[in-house]
Amino acid sequence: MSGRLEGVGAWVLYCVTAAMMIFILAPLLVVMSVSVSDSYFVTFPPQGFTLSWYAKVLQDRDFLDALQLSAVLAFSTTMGSLLLGVPAAFALVRGSFLGQSFLKSLVLSPLVFPALVTGLALLQLLSSFGSGDARLNLLIGHIVVTAPYVVRTVVSSLQLMDINLEEAARTLGASRMKTFWRVTLPQIAPGVAAGSLFAFMVSFDNYPISMWLANSEYSPVPLVLMRQLVNVFDPSVPAMSTIIILLAVVGVLILERLVGLRRAVAI
Amino acid sequence: MTDVAQTTAQAPGDLDERSPWRLTLSVGFLALPMLAFLSIFFFYPAANLLFYSFLSQDAKGIIGRPFTLSHYVHIAEIDLYLRVFWNTLQIAFVTSIVAIVMAYPVAIVMVKSNAIVNRVISLIVIAPLIVSVVVRAYGWQLILVNTPTGLLNWLLLTLHIINEPLELLYTKTAVVIGSLHVFFPMMVLPLASALGKIDPNLEDAARMLGAPWWKVFARVTLPLSIPGLVAGFTLVFSLTAGSFVIPVLLGGTSSTMLGNLIEQQIFVVYDWPFGATIAVVLVIVVFAINALSMRILEGRRFRRIAS
Repeated sequence: MSGRLEGVGAWVLYCVTAAMMIFILAPLLVVMSVSVSDSYFVTFPPQGFTLSWYAKVLQDRDFLDALQLSAVLAFSTTMGSLLLGVPAAFALVRGSFLGQSFLKSLVLSPLVFPALVTGLALLQLLSSFGSGDARLNLLIGHIVVTAPYVVRTVVSSLQLMDINLEEAARTLGASRMKTFWRVTLPQIAPGVAAGSLFAFMVSFDNYPISMWLANSEYSPVPLVLMRQLVNVFDPSVPAMSTIIILLAVVGVLILERLVGLRRAVAI
Repeated sequence: MTDVAQTTAQAPGDLDERSPWRLTLSVGFLALPMLAFLSIFFFYPAANLLFYSFLSQDAKGIIGRPFTLSHYVHIAEIDLYLRVFWNTLQIAFVTSIVAIVMAYPVAIVMVKSNAIVNRVISLIVIAPLIVSVVVRAYGWQLILVNTPTGLLNWLLLTLHIINEPLELLYTKTAVVIGSLHVFFPMMVLPLASALGKIDPNLEDAARMLGAPWWKVFARVTLPLSIPGLVAGFTLVFSLTAGSFVIPVLLGGTSSTMLGNLIEQQIFVVYDWPFGATIAVVLVIVVFAINALSMRILEGRRFRRIAS
């Protein structure tokens, strides 16, 4: 579809699109503008300007601990997802065996399952094992939901890649390992990168798995934020939220530079 | 066996004796670690949860036999639970429909405009996907607050569009707005990729033959974009039905959803079998929508082959 948009219809389309863009950005911009407002309670129009909430947040031990936990968790989750997901993607694209398409739907099934229920089921299992380390439980839960993303992006890269190049390398005498590192990996690198970044961000923002597996000692950022919102309203919440938004913007820009957004999301 | 290996001209001295069959099978083993991981931490616990929903819990809180269907009957009989069930379906359905209506213009503009506009729209649509749902729901709380100092009320009052502040927050409308915001990309992206595959000549032909723009849309664009539409609908419906954070932060007691009920049963009431039962109901809802959309898509393919 490359035809130009013209006439009344086009204006309607542009207006609705512009309105939706405002709709999408509004809550984020509101949070950001409130985060530098001077009053204890959020009111419109915002009053005064201050960075004191940021100063407060950056000294808030709970928030900093949560930020650190989330970062370490997201990083380990990404590594775990790569270890499981990349080989699985190879099996799905390069192998040919009975039940391959069934295997694919099995491996991707956590993506269609309500994450809330995945977390609950896992809580039940882990508590019957008596596994008390919340960090390990969170890691397991996050890998369950992020590894399928890695499989999906790596599968699509493998399908796009030119297999003749591998054969050429092998014919010219490169070993299997060398072919993988020098020919295959560079070609699927965008898929691996997209999958990793996506896994990282899904883990960093995850709520429905973490809500079951975290405890008061180890709570990732979204849970800490939720607790502040529901229980005791803390006026530094807008500043915390803004920090999260800014981290996401950085993540998106990296993703866009490395692989292109549309490809990364691959819905 | 050696014949095959030689004709496929593998590299010298390295695994030449392997037939392609053995090679492709051994590649298949690479899926084993993930399969094992998911079996232990996903399939088994999910099956176990289903099993739990048939167990009973005695007065001392010990869970075990006899097997019973009473929890399912419980959901169907008690008004409160039934209402939560219908709320969930209603919120998920309305959100998906609004998402479809709003996503078409955005997806069409995305597909038909130049690279820069396309990129900007993609960025705006996708970027919030990566911001925590808690932050986004909080943003909507600030906008929808019911007092005159909430953003929307303040704007509308200042512009003299309304005289009394609106009661928006803690209603189903607020939950739909929040869900729409969070899951909108899941509708736009599949729709844009389906629209991108439509041959522009078809629309040009319709236009040249004198069809007005709305007719071109209804007779050419819409039918050809059904796969994207169905995929988007399924995603948005499933994800909205499984919400937890949005109804907590934006909904009131009248817009409790299945997810909230599950959390209550587990963390407040400690009724594991009943919590498991509600979880199974939620999974059934999601699976039913997925199965339905699969049938629609397959039905289309059959008709195309038949015609």
